[in-house]
Amino acid sequence: MNVFTKPSVSLAFNYDSRMALRRKWLTVSGFIAIAAVATMLSAFSGASTSQGFSPVQPVRFPHPLHVQTLKMNCLYCHFSANKSPDPGMPAVATCMGCHALVGTDKPEIKKLAAYWNKKQPVPWVRMHKVPEYVHFPHMSHVNAGVSCQTCHGPIQNMNQVYQYSSLNMGWCVSCHIGQSNPPFKARYDCAACHY
Amino acid sequence: MSSEETESKGIKRRDFLKVVGGGVAVAASIGCESDKIEKLIPYLVSPDNTVPGVSTYYATTCRGCAAACGLIAETRDGRTTKLEGNPDHPVNRGALCATGQAELQALYNPDRYRSPMIRKNGKLVAAKWDEAFKLFSEKLGETRSRGGAANAVFINQHESGSFPAFLDQWLSDFGMPAHISYDAGVDTEAIAAHTAAYGVAWPRFDFTATQLIISFGADFLDGWGPSVPQQLDWADARAKLAGAPRLVFVGARRSLTGLNADTWIDCKPGTEISVARALSGEMPVAAAAQACGVDASRLQAVVDEYKAAKPALVLAGGHVAGAAQLLAAASALNHANGAIGTAIRPDQALLGYEGIAAPAQLRAAVARMNSGGVSLLMVRGANPAYSMPRSTGFAQAMAKVPFKVSFSSIMDDTSELCDLVLPDHHSLEQWGDAEPVRGTLSLQQPAMDPVFDSLATSDVLIRIAKGDPATAAKYAMPDYRSWLIARIPGGAEGMAAALPKGIVAGTALARTAARPALPAIAQVPDIATTSGDLYLYVYHHPVLRDGRGANKPWLQELPDPVTKLTWQTVVEMHPLTALKMGLDNSDLVVVTTSAGKLAAPVYLYLGIRQDTIAIATGRGHVNAGRYAKAGENAFDLVPLAENAAGGIALVSTRASVTKAGGSMLLATTEGSARQHLRDIARAIPVGELNGGGAHKAEPEEEHLEGDASHEFLPGLRSPVANDAQGDFGNPNSNDKGMYDPNHWSNMAKRRWAMTIDLARCTGCAACVTACYAENNIPTVGADWQAAQILPDRTGFGANITRSREMAWIRLERYYEGGEDGSADFETRFIPMMCQHCGNAPCEPVCPVYATYHAPDGLNVQVYNRCVGTRYCSNNCPYKVRYFNWFGYGEPHRPQYAFPEPLNWQLNPDVTVRGKGVMEKCSMCVQRIRGAEHRAKLEDRPLRPDEFTTACAEACPSRAITFGDAADESWSVTRLIKDERAYHVFEELNTFTAVVYLKKVNHPSPAAEPAHA
Repeated sequence: MNVFTKPSVSLAFNYDSRMALRRKWLTVSGFIAIAAVATMLSAFSGASTSQGFSPVQPVRFPHPLHVQTLKMNCLYCHFSANKSPDPGMPAVATCMGCHALVGTDKPEIKKLAAYWNKKQPVPWVRMHKVPEYVHFPHMSHVNAGVSCQTCHGPIQNMNQVYQYSSLNMGWCVSCHIGQSNPPFKARYDCAACHY
Repeated sequence: MSSEETESKGIKRRDFLKVVGGGVAVAASIGCESDKIEKLIPYLVSPDNTVPGVSTYYATTCRGCAAACGLIAETRDGRTTKLEGNPDHPVNRGALCATGQAELQALYNPDRYRSPMIRKNGKLVAAKWDEAFKLFSEKLGETRSRGGAANAVFINQHESGSFPAFLDQWLSDFGMPAHISYDAGVDTEAIAAHTAAYGVAWPRFDFTATQLIISFGADFLDGWGPSVPQQLDWADARAKLAGAPRLVFVGARRSLTGLNADTWIDCKPGTEISVARALSGEMPVAAAAQACGVDASRLQAVVDEYKAAKPALVLAGGHVAGAAQLLAAASALNHANGAIGTAIRPDQALLGYEGIAAPAQLRAAVARMNSGGVSLLMVRGANPAYSMPRSTGFAQAMAKVPFKVSFSSIMDDTSELCDLVLPDHHSLEQWGDAEPVRGTLSLQQPAMDPVFDSLATSDVLIRIAKGDPATAAKYAMPDYRSWLIARIPGGAEGMAAALPKGIVAGTALARTAARPALPAIAQVPDIATTSGDLYLYVYHHPVLRDGRGANKPWLQELPDPVTKLTWQTVVEMHPLTALKMGLDNSDLVVVTTSAGKLAAPVYLYLGIRQDTIAIATGRGHVNAGRYAKAGENAFDLVPLAENAAGGIALVSTRASVTKAGGSMLLATTEGSARQHLRDIARAIPVGELNGGGAHKAEPEEEHLEGDASHEFLPGLRSPVANDAQGDFGNPNSNDKGMYDPNHWSNMAKRRWAMTIDLARCTGCAACVTACYAENNIPTVGADWQAAQILPDRTGFGANITRSREMAWIRLERYYEGGEDGSADFETRFIPMMCQHCGNAPCEPVCPVYATYHAPDGLNVQVYNRCVGTRYCSNNCPYKVRYFNWFGYGEPHRPQYAFPEPLNWQLNPDVTVRGKGVMEKCSMCVQRIRGAEHRAKLEDRPLRPDEFTTACAEACPSRAITFGDAADESWSVTRLIKDERAYHVFEELNTFTAVVYLKKVNHPSPAAEPAHA
């Protein structure tokens, strides 16, 4: 910092040195401020990550029970993950298909049934989100053999789901250029995702 | 963050730095906190046959005008986001005009009625349906008990199908007379003449079967009848090149059709009949030329040409004074020259125009309303308080009617004067049918659930009838849909089978109720005897039409195909006239006729007679929503004058023009109307064509060291791509990454390209609106969207005066010749969008790599990289990059372009761009990716011509072809090799992916041999 703010002799030749000093100070602080603002803006632009985000959901849905104990396929509930960009959130009717009879005395199921009886959808809290200028088609990834766990982590063990991956661009690209384990390869052109 | 922005306003620069310095810590800590919480709302019960995130397509019918084109409505997650033409439909054959595209903005219009409205204490207030039904039933009962039912008036926006007959039945069941089927935008004079001469309201005009078309103000490309099928036929005829028909346009003002004409006979308004008589030989050419004020030799050439051409097709429009004789003369000429059965096909008539009432019927109703003889007025869809000339006094007469009911879906000048509003569903929300051609029903089905608390008028009528013991038994059907299904051959099963295609064999219910005879018409005075200095030529705006498009921002912002003006009403004047009067572009003038006056800026237009001024209708509504306030209402100037069949004579008077002082900047999107030797829009005389086939060998040019090849290069990779370094810039690697055609990604195997055939393009600008709809392009011209700093840059169109329009594709219109003000000039239209240069000037100047060349040939703009330096736009020779000066996509800003529920239309596949970001044509990259994903999902390669861009899909002249130029099986590769192919600014070595095919000029046979 000192290097930049030392009054310049050559400038003093032309200007009042105090003026020059003040201008320098302003310039430097200005640049710092601009850099800080840029950093801040980039944080807002989605480059930040919500990795580890684990909100409490309106109904505490236990993935381990459904996936591990009951051996349900992911696509039973997330029914469009292999045919749509949107993985599909199960309709309340899908839940009630079993829970009209199963576990009706449990407090969480009672909450679910309350939504169903009020004819209201469950307002799940969204966790995984890429910015609007990114297009992530689930079906292309699922059909290419990318497992759910590759991005969503050990979701079968999560009693309360948390965001396993950063979902940052670097994380996307590392896989697209074949640096993941197991290795996948996909187009890494900007317009593959950004349009 | 927004709080900082507001703080930054009005403080000194130095203080600003202090504030920012202090604010960073706060903001930084905010930045690290979690993002705002969003919800994922699932379905309660998942609907059948839909997949979240995947579009469903519904075939339905367009109600934008009377033609009843077929639509495919793309609906995703319950919202319709895009309309396309139905390829199987007999009328529009897959194309769709700008008006049809913009029906979405009627569906999602922010000024739609959200619920029924009842007038209380002089104001319309929201009410419940039960309350509204009760009031309507009461008033109906009152009217009947007082014996007023026979005097009730029901005005319905004209539509084809069974509903008009259903409505007539309902009215008759309540003792009321048949409804008036009104459409101000339709030429009822021409319909009467067609019916008399050909037996149908609107025959199909087969332009391919003729060598010469003479149009007397019949704007068949822009509003005279069904524009889309007529454009398709016209483009097919012109695509014959050497065998194409010539078009001669006779009229005081060149419309879009007039600009597409090869010859313009600029006759005085009201004297067109003399030209027709010269053609038939009833009048000597010299005398006719004298009467019309045109050059005798030019008229002689047309007459000679007409005599030689068999068959020739003569069309005439009915909005000028004395149109009845003109139309009769045109029919006689067609009879004489054998056009009937060849170029005029009554057997392929478009039935959408059958049964339209003449505006004189409405004027007769006004007289009854004025005399207090009408106790109940009902209006559905139509807006006569605006679209009837002010001189008819419709709005004043409404005040004399004790109870007025509107079934309008959107607020308009008429509904706002009513006592009860029972908002109708939009046509995309309700059931219906149309019979656009004989024996074929075009089905109308809801593409989505209603946006607001509206109810289909058909269902309102049924419910009212059910509530009345006298009619309840007759209206036992649960709703209009079930009534309709019962009419379809095969019933519910037949309907289910027909809906995917949208059409089915069948006929609509015919109207049988007696309709009143034509009342005595208000005669047109001899136009030459009216007072004023200049003839006044009022015409229907090509896209706003009779005003129904005025509250759709897409259509307000769409530059008029002729004048290139947006958001404003102007007085079109010949440059030499303006010179004489001491006027220039944008000077304000006051135009006065016997009917009223209007103040508007002058626009200098070469395509108008020197003794005539022209003004378009459609703008200047009193009360039809926030966008419709733009401009002035030309109907204010139209005196009460009707032609023989009861059609309004829009051109019936002269007007005096006085300088008002002051000026108003023109909201034009045009830079220059001249090419200045740049050879952007090229043309070739028909005689110089090789007759198709290969590109003519050009003489070898001198080879300069380092000069790029002058061969056509679409289909080849660009020089930039050849230099590309793969392997993340490793200088020792030979890997060119995805730019290598042998790369595993196969991306460089494709080269997306486009051809635009200027011989087909009519300049109608349907592509522009299609692009707005597909690509979430904001409209910027509303007056609240402009910064209110400069007093002369406010009001509607202010942002356009600062060149801030965002149209990714624009229609450039260039004049050739006519520099001396003569009528002998040629017009060339050229759609201009990002050329996706192989060697793009925008790319190397971007400091942040936000624009670059993709391996598959696209010039890509990455919004999230863009920092808004605008260097790319400065360096673009085509000027096709557009900058987001404001946050048009941000709801909290005054410039927000998509007020709820207009934002429901936004394409979920396309990013809504933020403030400070550059954007441009992406060649519908979302469609390319979508098709690639779909093909992968179905485990197959892309099929040739499997998909296309939004502009090409809509284009009613089929001028645009999109495809993979590196694959011979796509049509585009064939067209690129056409002898007429050229690149704009080829000399800049941009190696564009958009290839234009030269316009083909058809000089008059009498003219000197084409100057080669």
